Amino acid sequence: MSMKIIESEYNKKIHFAGRLTAVLVILMLISVPAIVCLHYNIFPTMSGFLKGLAMVWMIYLPICIAEVLTYTPMVGISGAYLSFISGNLSNLKIPCAAMAMDNAGVKGSTDEGDVIATLSIATSTIVTEIIIVIGVIALVPLTPVLTSKILEPAFQNILPALFGALGVYWIMRQWKLAVTPLAFVILVSILVPMFTGKSIPAGLLIPVSGLLAVLAARFMYNRGWVVNAGNE
Amino acid sequence: MDYLNIANSNLMYLMVAVVIAVVFIQSVVFFILAWKRGLALGLTKRKMLDAVRSSAIFSVVPSLPILLALVAMVPVLGIPFPWLRLGVIGSAPYELLAANIGAQSMGVQGLGQSGYTAQVFINSMWIMSLGILWSPVIFLLFAKRLQTGMANMKKNDSKWLEILIASLFFGMISVFIGQPVVNGGIQLATILTSAAIMFAITAAVKKFEISWLANFSLSISMIASMALAIFYSRIM
Repeated sequence: MSMKIIESEYNKKIHFAGRLTAVLVILMLISVPAIVCLHYNIFPTMSGFLKGLAMVWMIYLPICIAEVLTYTPMVGISGAYLSFISGNLSNLKIPCAAMAMDNAGVKGSTDEGDVIATLSIATSTIVTEIIIVIGVIALVPLTPVLTSKILEPAFQNILPALFGALGVYWIMRQWKLAVTPLAFVILVSILVPMFTGKSIPAGLLIPVSGLLAVLAARFMYNRGWVVNAGNE
Repeated sequence: MDYLNIANSNLMYLMVAVVIAVVFIQSVVFFILAWKRGLALGLTKRKMLDAVRSSAIFSVVPSLPILLALVAMVPVLGIPFPWLRLGVIGSAPYELLAANIGAQSMGVQGLGQSGYTAQVFINSMWIMSLGILWSPVIFLLFAKRLQTGMANMKKNDSKWLEILIASLFFGMISVFIGQPVVNGGIQLATILTSAAIMFAITAAVKKFEISWLANFSLSISMIASMALAIFYSRIM
């Protein structure tokens, strides 16, 4: 079974196209600052460059590893080739693909689910890139609208607006899976700022919350408290 | 030379346009591959088109904060580089953090502060570009192994794989639900409003069997509760 999945024609094409485009984009992302350096003959100091890189990598290397492990199962392999290049997974790609799969009546771990997730994520990427291009072209006329005081509360609350709807939809399906991570997040969101005065960034909290959710699910699954993912 | 001349140069625009074009083409290629695969698997065009349509409509609103970030970044980093950074991996908070670290590690207080020369700008570019490159690199290195791992899990216990995926999803959404709930105020009011609207739409879809509405339930709940957030900000 697994060999059949790995060796299918579609699968080969996805890996080929995914690797080719991802490697291309990665190389181009590196060459942008490199070409600027060479063209203008201006280079950062070695110490400034290394110090900065070390600081960012210290924070983001663990986050990146956790993201790949947490997000890949949710978007599927082909969806992941797109998502890890274009970004915006938690606020765009994952909610988008999850709803598209559910409305189509397919599950994430199946071939059909993978197709719907890929179509959804590809569409989402195309729409976002077009909107950014519009933003770049119409930056001057759009700036007063985007930064208007009237719309400010709407933009500031975009994540609660997204996750309230998404949350109730899925919690109604399988609330048992939500109890542990939700209790954990609420607890640390109250306690950590109380003691440190700072809140924890979402990027650090997501992998921990995900891990706890999985452990709790396994516990409930072993005891027969949870028998399906809520998408039956 | 003022660094903004470099930041807004034709060379920068050209390079950025090429990278974004490749990202765009990648999505088009995957779209075509998935579409054909879907037909081969027996998915109807109708079903796939529904997914495409609802995804396109949903993606508009969550993309708007990206434009807000663009507006914030352009005065200090020029137009093309923020365009590139926001169009690929990363997010607005990451980009600003990395750009600032790029400045501070060169001995400048922060983005656009005095002493933010072309040399410092270029260091910011390097740090922003390389800092978060790990996600695609790690994924590329482990894609096949992750796939085999999931395939084996599915073979052993497909129910558990489904529950595992759902758990990861619940872990993620819990962060974005728990934080506004604790923060209270307009955030809490907005999240409750959005949940209530979604609840009502989902109930209506079931009761009156209007399945097309399900495709837009998330977008409708989001936009309506954002509009109400404006109202709440006036009265709270």
